[in-house]
Amino acid sequence: MHLSGRSRLLQRRKSVLRAVAGLCFSLLSLPGVSVAQAPDTEKPVPILSGALAYLNFVSGGQNLIDTQFNPVLLLPLGDNWLVESRGAFEGQFQRPPGGGTYAGPLAKTLDYFQVDYIANPHVTITAGRFLTPFGIFNERLYPVWIRALQPDPLILPLATASSDGAMLRGGFSVNPSINMNYAVYVSAASIGVKGLTAERHVGGRMGFFFPGPRLEVGTSWQKTLQDDRKNAFGFHMGWQPPKIPLNLRSEYAHSYQGSGYWIEGAYRLSQARFWQKRLRRTEVVARAQQFFNGEIGANADSQLGLPGAETREADFGVNYFLRDGLKGVAGYGHQFSSLGNFNQWTCGIAYRFLLPLGHVGAQ
Amino acid sequence: MRTKFAGTGTFVIVLLAALALESSTFASGPSSAKDASGTVLVNSAKADIMRVQGEQRFRANCSRCHAAPQKFPPRMMATILRHMRVRATITDEDMRLILFYMTE
Repeated sequence: MHLSGRSRLLQRRKSVLRAVAGLCFSLLSLPGVSVAQAPDTEKPVPILSGALAYLNFVSGGQNLIDTQFNPVLLLPLGDNWLVESRGAFEGQFQRPPGGGTYAGPLAKTLDYFQVDYIANPHVTITAGRFLTPFGIFNERLYPVWIRALQPDPLILPLATASSDGAMLRGGFSVNPSINMNYAVYVSAASIGVKGLTAERHVGGRMGFFFPGPRLEVGTSWQKTLQDDRKNAFGFHMGWQPPKIPLNLRSEYAHSYQGSGYWIEGAYRLSQARFWQKRLRRTEVVARAQQFFNGEIGANADSQLGLPGAETREADFGVNYFLRDGLKGVAGYGHQFSSLGNFNQWTCGIAYRFLLPLGHVGAQ
Repeated sequence: MRTKFAGTGTFVIVLLAALALESSTFASGPSSAKDASGTVLVNSAKADIMRVQGEQRFRANCSRCHAAPQKFPPRMMATILRHMRVRATITDEDMRLILFYMTE
């Protein structure tokens, strides 16, 4: 039977949709292993959490004071629902070129505001604005009190702008030595880094975690649903060798806007045989990264927060954990770029707070 | 010629139908025995095993991004674990064991 190109396209799309719908139906129809009803003393309570940070960046001799307040609201409802939200208030203050007092803009953004429904042990349904699950940095490592180095990776803006739409996600054990996690999403619009125009896209991420060697590997994909329908893809890995306090992570991302990778190792000096009291609270970090230009120009790069030229960067840092959730940070990096090489120094303090919004009883 | 993405509506309808079916079969009953006061009855040997497994799961999952935190009251940990279950896509079993470990 002869089919025109358009008919073939429509037929293929229908079959893909049927396959996706079938997959969703299968996942959602899995036997519902119930979530245990907790006694009242263990019922989840609403929480206000978040981070405060005061950071000082000196890039190419230019001083920038960066202050951040990132509140996170967690509102559990019943046994299976969670409303969660994170806002970001960031002030970046610089001294004018001719001298004078520090001044600068105060940025306010809503990173995510989502409703999660835990449908069964394998599927959580999310709707609202959510962090786009592309790679691992944006979703897991972005908060200032979690990240090992304060400067963002160069490729962070690639395919990670917050999404407005719906998402299915979950994690389950394939067998005792492999856990699988996944996320698939449809976004009606995305809130761009520094004012990127909204766009529609679909995408997903899949990862395999091996609990024995503590190794995770995964891949991400995103397709823009307008104009040229560009694809972006990425790979990520994380490895924590069980016998040494090393945390090794890496990401690669490729899109029409550019491509690149970063690899980072963070080593906690908890096994040191001297100055144990101090050194077990200390972490040393190193990161290497590279960015390659894409199909967009330097202006668009700048709007997205990308370097605007082929760039290599090496960063080193030290974190000192004063107590749970409070750490002092210091770092040095050097960027090599056709736009100019420069040093970047960082120092500051980051604090994570956690407050119950209800009665929690005695600990 | 490229066509606009037209299947999103169908996808959402099928998804909602599947969700409705699932919701009708998804019961949230207790998975462990409780006494009259609502306290979960777990014998000490089983509790020890769960504690060890919970610590292993904590090290395998949570410590990839977090240093071992102080322990929080159970009601706070329940919220934190629900948040992390979604954020870090940890498995249901891991979440239960970590919650047990972190609240013991």
